[in-house]
Amino acid sequence: MKSIKRGERLTIIIIAAFLIGMIILVVKIIMESSFYMSHSTHVKLGNVYDCNGEILFDSEASLEKYKDDANYFIDIGNVIGDDSGQMTNTLVSENINKLQNYNLLFGATKTGKSSIHATLNHAANRKVYEAFGNKDGTAIAYNYKTGEILICVSKPSVNILNYENVSELPSGSLMCKAFYGTVPGSTQKVSTLAAAIESIGYSAVSEKVYNCPGTYYNNYGTGIDCHDLSGHGVQNISQALQNSCNPFFAQLVEELPLDGIINTFRDMGYSVNKSKNKELEINGISIFRASTELTDVNDSITQWGCIGQGKTEISPCQLMMWQSAIANGTDKVTMPYLIDYSTNIIGITTHHSSTKYESAGFSSETSKHIREIMLENGRNNKYSSIGRSVGVKTGTAQVENGKHENSLLVGFCDEDSLPIAFCIVIEKNESQEMSTNQIAAQILNSLSES
Amino acid sequence: MFHNGIKYGRSVMLVLLTHLIMLSAVVLRGNYDNIQQVYPLAIAVLGLDLVYIITLRFFYNQMTYTMDFLLLLILNISVIFQSCFGGIGFSSKHYITCILALICCQISFLLTRNHIRLMTIKKYLYIALGAIIGIMLITSVIFGRYNLWIDLGFFQFQPSEFMKPIFVLLCATSIMEQHEKKKILFFYISKEALMLTGAFLTIFLIQWFKHDLGSLPTFAAAYACAVVCRICYPKAKFSKKMLIIICAIGAVVVVAALKFAPGYVQDRLSVDIWSDMHGHGYQQCQALMAIAEGGLFGKGPGYGSLIEIAAADTDIVFSTICEEWGFLVALLIIFFIVSLLILPMINKPRSYYHTTMILGVAAVLIVQMGLNIFGSCNLIPFTGFKIPFISQGGSSMITCGLLAGMLKAGQSPVFRKPEIPSLQKKRQIQSGKTRRDNI
Repeated sequence: MKSIKRGERLTIIIIAAFLIGMIILVVKIIMESSFYMSHSTHVKLGNVYDCNGEILFDSEASLEKYKDDANYFIDIGNVIGDDSGQMTNTLVSENINKLQNYNLLFGATKTGKSSIHATLNHAANRKVYEAFGNKDGTAIAYNYKTGEILICVSKPSVNILNYENVSELPSGSLMCKAFYGTVPGSTQKVSTLAAAIESIGYSAVSEKVYNCPGTYYNNYGTGIDCHDLSGHGVQNISQALQNSCNPFFAQLVEELPLDGIINTFRDMGYSVNKSKNKELEINGISIFRASTELTDVNDSITQWGCIGQGKTEISPCQLMMWQSAIANGTDKVTMPYLIDYSTNIIGITTHHSSTKYESAGFSSETSKHIREIMLENGRNNKYSSIGRSVGVKTGTAQVENGKHENSLLVGFCDEDSLPIAFCIVIEKNESQEMSTNQIAAQILNSLSES
Repeated sequence: MFHNGIKYGRSVMLVLLTHLIMLSAVVLRGNYDNIQQVYPLAIAVLGLDLVYIITLRFFYNQMTYTMDFLLLLILNISVIFQSCFGGIGFSSKHYITCILALICCQISFLLTRNHIRLMTIKKYLYIALGAIIGIMLITSVIFGRYNLWIDLGFFQFQPSEFMKPIFVLLCATSIMEQHEKKKILFFYISKEALMLTGAFLTIFLIQWFKHDLGSLPTFAAAYACAVVCRICYPKAKFSKKMLIIICAIGAVVVVAALKFAPGYVQDRLSVDIWSDMHGHGYQQCQALMAIAEGGLFGKGPGYGSLIEIAAADTDIVFSTICEEWGFLVALLIIFFIVSLLILPMINKPRSYYHTTMILGVAAVLIVQMGLNIFGSCNLIPFTGFKIPFISQGGSSMITCGLLAGMLKAGQSPVFRKPEIPSLQKKRQIQSGKTRRDNI
C-alpha cells in the first residue's frame, strides 16, 4: 500500500510540474504579448501626433492619401520613422508597442485608439528643415525648463511615403544625426571650461591669461594651430571663448590637473579613455554618449581632445542637454523627452511624461559663470542676426581627415517666454555659405510664433 | 467502492452542454458563408455524443464512466477545433481517428485491467516492440533513413508512436517481478530490469538512427518512472545513497546528451527565435504572435491565419486554438486533459502494477503535452510533438486512445486469474467427475 501511495505521489509531482510550467507560460504570455504583436503584420498601429495635433506618423499613409503634400513627413522622416522595419532607433520603431491597437483582453482590433502624442512642433520643424536649404546637417532644440523636444531635424531625411530601395538613398538618410556622435569642434570648449572651473576654481581660471601667437608649441613641441594664424594676442578666458582660441585652451589644459579634467568629464557623462558609462536614451531612442581620450595634459592628443578635435565625439543632443544646466544656472541637466503622453486601445492615457533632471557633472556656480561668459559671447555683433538674447558657442569641426569642415552652434535663449536650448550642425560648410545663426534664428522665431 | 465524481446524468449534461455551447460559438462567431456549412459538424459531434451515451448506458454498462465521458468531451471538442481551423467545415479524417481512439480506449481497457492475464502474454509485448523496431528499420531501407512514416496510400501511420503504449506496459509488468534479483558483484540485478533497460536503449538507438530524438523524452520519462517505482518499492534494496548516485548519473547523462547532441538538435537548443524569425524560429514566432493576436477570447472560429503555417493543426495546435478560440478556451482544454490524468487519484489503483501503469501513461502524456505547448511557445526547445487527443494524426490518436484505456484500467482493475479455455475444460470435467462420484 505504501508503494502504491508513492507511485501516486509521483504522478501528482509530474502533473504539478506541468501545471507550474503552464503558470509560467500564462505569465510569459501576459508579460510579452505586446512584444509578440510588435512583430505581427495583423495589428493596426495608431498614429503619432505633434504638440498641436498634427499627424507625424500614419500607419495608413500613402502617396495617394497625402497627394496634396507629398513631402508632408520629410522633416521628421528619420526621427519619427515608420513600421517598415527599415529604420531603427526612431520614435515609432522603439515605441511600437505603445502604438499597437492591441491588448491581451481584446486581441488585435482595427478600431483601437492607441496613439502617441509627441512634443515636436511639426510646423516649426518643417521651417527649420527648409532653412537648411541644400545643406545637410542636424538641428535639435528643446525647452530647457520642461525637457520637451520641440524641434529635431536631420538632413538628408527620408520621405516615408516613397522609399523602397534603401540602397539608393543618400548616406545618413535613415538616421537622425542629432542622436549620433559627431566631432564637436570648439563647442567642446564649454565642457573644458566647466572642467577647468571645477578643477581649480573660477577665480583661478579667470586670472589666467595666455598669449596666442597663431601656433602654440606645447611642452612636447607639438604645434597647436589657431584658426586665426595671425594670433589673438594676450587674452583672458572670456575673450578666449569668444575668439574660440585653440592655443589659449591648450595652455589652460597644460596647467590643469589631469584627474580633475577626467573626473569632471566623467561626471558630465563622457566615456573617458573608453571607460564604461550608463546608457543614455530618450523614450527608447539610444543617444550616443560623449567620448574622448585624455592621457597627458602636455600631450597634443589630450589638448586637441579638450579643444574639440582629436578623438572627441559627442551627439548634438547631449551638447544641447548641457546647455539646459547652463541656461538654468543649476547643477542639473533637464532630461529631454519626445513623448508627451500616449493612449491605449480604449483611449485612456497610459503614459504621461514629466520633467526629470540628472546631474550635470558640474556645480551650479560653474553653470552660472559659464552662462555669463556665453551670454557675453552672444551679445557679440556676429550673433546679432539671431535677433534674440542668447548665450552661444560656435564650433568648427574638421571631419573626414580634414577634408571637410562642419559648423556647429550650441546655446540657449535667455528669454523667459522662450526657454530654448539648441544645437545646430551644418555639414561640409567650409566655405561658410550658410551660417548656423540663420538656423538658430529660424528655430527661435518659428517656436516663438507657434 | 468505485467513485465517479459526477453522477451519470450530470456527466451527460456536461458533455452535451459543452459541445452545444461550442457549436453555438461556431454559429455566432464562426467564419462561414452559409449556416449549412455548420450542419455536418453539428450532426457529427452531437451524433457521436448520443451514440456513445446510449452505448454506455444500455450496451456497455460499467462502474466507472467519468473517464469515458471526459474522453468523449475532449475528443469532440478536438473535432470542433480541427473542423474550424481557417474556416468552418468538417474534418472527417480527424472525426474517424477520434472514433478509433474511443474504440482503442475500450480495447486497451479490457486488455490491461487484469495484470495476471497480461503477465501471461508479456513476451508478446517484447515481440511487438521488436516487430515495430523491425518495421522502422525496413522503412529506413525502403523509404530512406530519416523517414518516420509508412504510406499505404489511403492511410499514413507512424510506427514509432505505437511503441509508447507497449513500452508503458513493459514498465508496468517489469515491476511485478522486480523483487526477483540476484547480487552480481555489488549490484542487485533483476532480469526484468535488464530487459526493460535493453528495450529502452534499443528505442534510443533506433530514434538516434532515425533522427527522431525529439520523441525520446516520452520514453525516457516512462523509463525514469519505472526506475523510480523500482527504487521506491519497499523491498527494493536501494539506499538513499544509491538514489542520489542514480540522480547524479541521470543529470550527467542529460548534460552530456545536450552537449554532444547532433548538429540539428544543437540548432534547436540554441536558436534565438526572434533574431532568426524567418529561419529556425519561424514556427515559434508565428505561434506566439497568433496567441497574442487571439487575446483571451480569440478572433473567432475559422478566422485564424496560423493555419497557413506548417504543422498548425499538429505541432503548434495550441497556438492555433488560442488564435481562433482564445487563450482561455485553450487553457480550459488543457485542464480537461489534465483532469483525465487526475481521475485515477479518485479511484485509486490497488496494485503496484496499476500504479506503475498509470504513472507511465501520465508521464508519457504530460511530457508529450509539455513538449508541444512549451516548445511551441519557446519556453523549451521546439521538438514538434502532438498534444494528446487534440492534434491531428491517426497514429497519435490511436496511441492516445490506448493510453487512455490503460488509465481507465488502473481505476477498475480485475484481480481474478484469467480463464484459459483448456484449463476451464479440465475443471469442468473434474467437477463433473466429482458430482458423479458423489451420486
